[in-house]
Amino acid sequence: MSLYEAMFVLDNDAVRAGWADAKGIATGILEKHGAKVHTARRWDERRLAYPIRGKQRGTYLLTFVEAGADAIGPISRDLELEERVLRYLILSAEGVPAGEDDLSKAEQGADFVVPEPPRDDEPRPARVEEPAPEKEAGEKAEEKPAEGEAAEKAPADEAEKPAEAQAQPEGASAEESKPALATEAPKES
Amino acid sequence: MADYRSPAENANPQTGPDRIDYKDLDYLSKHLNPQGQIFSRRRTAFSTKRQRLLKQAVKRARHLALLPFVG
Repeated sequence: MSLYEAMFVLDNDAVRAGWADAKGIATGILEKHGAKVHTARRWDERRLAYPIRGKQRGTYLLTFVEAGADAIGPISRDLELEERVLRYLILSAEGVPAGEDDLSKAEQGADFVVPEPPRDDEPRPARVEEPAPEKEAGEKAEEKPAEGEAAEKAPADEAEKPAEAQAQPEGASAEESKPALATEAPKES
Repeated sequence: MADYRSPAENANPQTGPDRIDYKDLDYLSKHLNPQGQIFSRRRTAFSTKRQRLLKQAVKRARHLALLPFVG
């Protein structure tokens, strides 16, 4: 048994149906082949760099699992057959990074909510993704009390994140995966 | 000039000199041109090993659609 880092790109349609179930697609396949899932957490939801099976966006699930070397082949086969997993990447890992455990456990709390993924045809954000919305939000907050039209003027890239921020609460413990403590200390400094 | 290729200078402070994480997109994109092509060793000033790690990480990121193959 050795430790693997496995990243999955999940179909947003499956994520909309419920995060616990969506997570279960990947972890279910892993556990079916005797792998022990240490951590599993939502890494990000983002626009794909290129469309995969017609999808423009996807949700990334990052897991650390312990599995036998001979289980990887069958796992890969099942993942290829699973249509809701758009892409996957399984790498050997030296240890579970610090903090990964906490992030994974936080997902199992009742108050953890997954934001509803934006629609595929959501307008593309402005060229620079990260700094732009923050700056816009800051400007908006400053200007809003003074003049109302500043908010209207804000470009479409603002609608990207906060617009559909309603999320459904997660089922308390629908996951059977229990993240155990890492056997090895993370070596990354 | 002697320090030009020093690993310490090239290393990502988060991951260290002998590792490049495919999830670290900010770091990877520093070594890509606007089309997503990897800069040459002459441009990155990386050691052979580190350039190979960069290549590996970029290819992993491309597979997961975190980075484009072209464009």
